[in-house]
Amino acid sequence: MLKIFSNFWNKFKEYIVLVILILASLFALTNNNNTAVKNVRTIAFSSFAFFSNLISDVTSSTLIKNENDKLRRLNAKLMLQVNLLRKYGIENQELKRLLSLKSTVSYPFISASVVSKSLNTASNTFTLNSGKTDGVKPGMPVINDLGLIGIVYTVSDNYSMIRTLRNVNLRITVKDERSRVNAILKWDGNDLILTNIPKTSDIKIGDRIISSELSTIVPLPIPIGYIISINNKSTDIFNRVKIKSFANLTSVENVFIIKMIKSVQVNKLELNFFKKENSAN
Amino acid sequence: MRTKFIFSTLFFIPVLIVQITLVQFITWNAITPNFILILLVFHSILFGQLYGTILGFVYGLLFDLITGGLLGSAMLSYTLAGFIAGYFSNENKRHIYLKPFNFGLIVLLCSITASIIYSIFSTIDFSTNIIASLFEEGLLPGLYTFVVAIIIIYFYPRRKLFES
Repeated sequence: MLKIFSNFWNKFKEYIVLVILILASLFALTNNNNTAVKNVRTIAFSSFAFFSNLISDVTSSTLIKNENDKLRRLNAKLMLQVNLLRKYGIENQELKRLLSLKSTVSYPFISASVVSKSLNTASNTFTLNSGKTDGVKPGMPVINDLGLIGIVYTVSDNYSMIRTLRNVNLRITVKDERSRVNAILKWDGNDLILTNIPKTSDIKIGDRIISSELSTIVPLPIPIGYIISINNKSTDIFNRVKIKSFANLTSVENVFIIKMIKSVQVNKLELNFFKKENSAN
Repeated sequence: MRTKFIFSTLFFIPVLIVQITLVQFITWNAITPNFILILLVFHSILFGQLYGTILGFVYGLLFDLITGGLLGSAMLSYTLAGFIAGYFSNENKRHIYLKPFNFGLIVLLCSITASIIYSIFSTIDFSTNIIASLFEEGLLPGLYTFVVAIIIIYFYPRRKLFES
């Protein structure tokens, strides 16, 4: 019996091992949301981020000279714009006060640098050098000067991992800035697309897309991108709208994390509402 | 075997650092070469199919954990890539398979297979054109990896290659 088994093993060991490893991979695929898996992942990426950080420091210092020139020019342009915006800001504050609106953009920023990038087409992730000790929590939006970059996904003490806009697992409620039409933004592996937009909706190529206040993840109006094409198939109910992001995810180096998690606030509010309802009953 | 395996796993760390920190500088239109796959194919040809299959699994596991991808997707694709590359580990023909163009073709085959399997589990939106998706996510990164693999193996010292 043992000999038969031994012969069988010697003859087919490559295939047996292949089948076992494929089954193990499929088992892992079904256990992605397991808490233990998440913990192991946090430990793995935070230990590795230390090495990536060292390399990133070296590469970023070589790029910093070119970036410095660009920033000086940008700074001069921005100074002119700031003067103009200051005037608009004062007007805006006065109008808001008149309408008794509460300012919703007073969230603090946490600055961070990208220490590593996983640039595969499906699940693009960045590792940032800010973590729990800086106040970063999962769910916080990440932006740069051009617009939204992604959402914090996992956090360790000194590092955090974000899912960028080019991640199939990230979906955000957005709206057309001009027509205020709401839609869901997602990455389909090739393009950023807007889903759930009926054909009758008022959308045009070139329209700016910003995050919607309906979003539980990014409730601030953060610029995301602009419409580059509208695929109007006669057989579909909805339009397939392609977006180009303002932020260049391939070259982004420095980002800001907005210190807010809307979903928690909403959850608490809804929880309190239900508590009150229950106590009233 | 054990020493070789530890060596291969340790060698993976600097390659992964290159893959996630430096590859961004040679990215073309979001298409990147896969250095990890080149390393995997190289070790599979040198040390055999069983070795390549297990090494692919380990590389995939580490890659998924460290990059935050869908756990299991890279494990599955690298396991199969290692298995396929292992078919080219014949001792008598190894020197032929390790010639730059031949090595590049093996990398291309493994890369296309790995990319397609990885895409199926993590990217492909079945409402879009699947053929186009497979082309963009399988063939284009595969061709880029093929070119990079030829360059690497061309400059790899031949004497060292056959001593190992």
